[in-house]
Amino acid sequence: ECGHISLSTPIVRLGDSVTASCVINQNCSRLGLDAQILWKLGPELQPGGRQQRLPDGTQESTITLPHFNHTQAFLSCCLNWSNSLQILDQVELRAGYPPAIPHNLSCLMNLTTYSLTCQWEPGPETHLPTSFTLKSFQSCQNQKDPIPDCVAEDGQSHCSILRKHLILYQNMGIWVQAENALGTSTSPQLCLDPMDVVKLEPPMLWTVGPSHAAAPAQPGCLLLHWEPWKPSLHMSQKCELRHQPQLGGANWTLEGPLPTKTLQYELCGLLPATAYTLQMRCIRWPLPGHWSNWSPSLKLRTAEQVPI
Amino acid sequence: PLDPASSLPQSFLLKCLEQVRKIQSDGAALQEKLCATYKLCHPEELVLLGHFLGIPRTPLSSCPSQALQLTGCLSQLHSGLFLYQGLLQALAGISPELAPTVDMLQLDVADFATTVWQQMEDLGVAPALQPSQGAMPTFTSAFQRRAGGVLVTSHLQSFLKLAYRMLRYLAQP
Repeated sequence: ECGHISLSTPIVRLGDSVTASCVINQNCSRLGLDAQILWKLGPELQPGGRQQRLPDGTQESTITLPHFNHTQAFLSCCLNWSNSLQILDQVELRAGYPPAIPHNLSCLMNLTTYSLTCQWEPGPETHLPTSFTLKSFQSCQNQKDPIPDCVAEDGQSHCSILRKHLILYQNMGIWVQAENALGTSTSPQLCLDPMDVVKLEPPMLWTVGPSHAAAPAQPGCLLLHWEPWKPSLHMSQKCELRHQPQLGGANWTLEGPLPTKTLQYELCGLLPATAYTLQMRCIRWPLPGHWSNWSPSLKLRTAEQVPI
Repeated sequence: PLDPASSLPQSFLLKCLEQVRKIQSDGAALQEKLCATYKLCHPEELVLLGHFLGIPRTPLSSCPSQALQLTGCLSQLHSGLFLYQGLLQALAGISPELAPTVDMLQLDVADFATTVWQQMEDLGVAPALQPSQGAMPTFTSAFQRRAGGVLVTSHLQSFLKLAYRMLRYLAQP
């Protein structure tokens, strides 16, 4: 090696100082080189190198960059040789911040894949490669029975714990650990039973009539039929309906909870000869859960009022 | 002895009912696949083989509503679930098509056993040591694993039917 740069640390906090030293060994300098060592940060020469000849005849230059404000830059150790700057060694400097405490950790249980997906807010940009790991234990009180770490993919703020690592219907402790070269931070712990954070998919909603024209039992009514989301059939749940006449600026009206024994419901009190938009959603109940999204809209029209 | 009606939290009973329904659904899915794929649709055709393989059944004799002995019933429920967890594990390698269904069923049975055990501990009626799995049948051929799958699932469904009736009785307001 002709020259060799050694660093106090290749990664610093943005704005901190960086100290580097470059040693030019003898066979390189004996080539009649002008042994004045020069430093370049990216494309720019950096003054302030303190040079000395070591007992073994090698030249060493030390430089301190007081406030390193680049997130990434190359530091080069150079020599002037027949009017051209020769790069003898180069190192990459990086700067950023330690990870902030991840926050807003929340989880949802997916009944299709039966995995527990947790997401979080990573906090401000660190400018450094930062890993996020979901840590969990099969108990909230102690750290017995650890569950394998769930490492989020680069740049992602979510991770999914597989069914085989979960004990459903038991509380588990979950938190997020963020780590980069400058430090580690840990979110507050969540304590939850995966089944209590189930979010159902919407039910299927349709009219009983053969076509879009409803077959109302009586005027101003619509006869609806629905089917809960199949993977949730084993769950006791409650559902609610909302409807809105397709008239400019009309509000939604909420009906519910709908009786779940019969998957049919006669919605009355509507305007005759009017087009309505209807949607439905369900939630695990009375055990805890999250509301599903509203189902896709069902558009129906009520029958004409029969002249009396 | 514990008074059944008051000592079990409603949330425990609701969770158990939900878990039973899930396991029944898993079991039905496995039975459907065994029937569709291997034409093994009738457990009663495999009774003799079941005896030969030594597939055990477990009683829920402390659970009938008219003579419900809660501690004994919970203990039998847990022991039964623990046994079926072992039997399902013994079916490992049943077939690539059935493996995901058996795995899900086994996980759900294991979780239900944990729910019951946790409640027994909360009531202070859990034995000091968790039970250990006894000798399991050995399935020496692909057919025996499939037939074992039919029998174990069928026994499990019968077991769950009794458990569900008991839990519904206890959960009624």
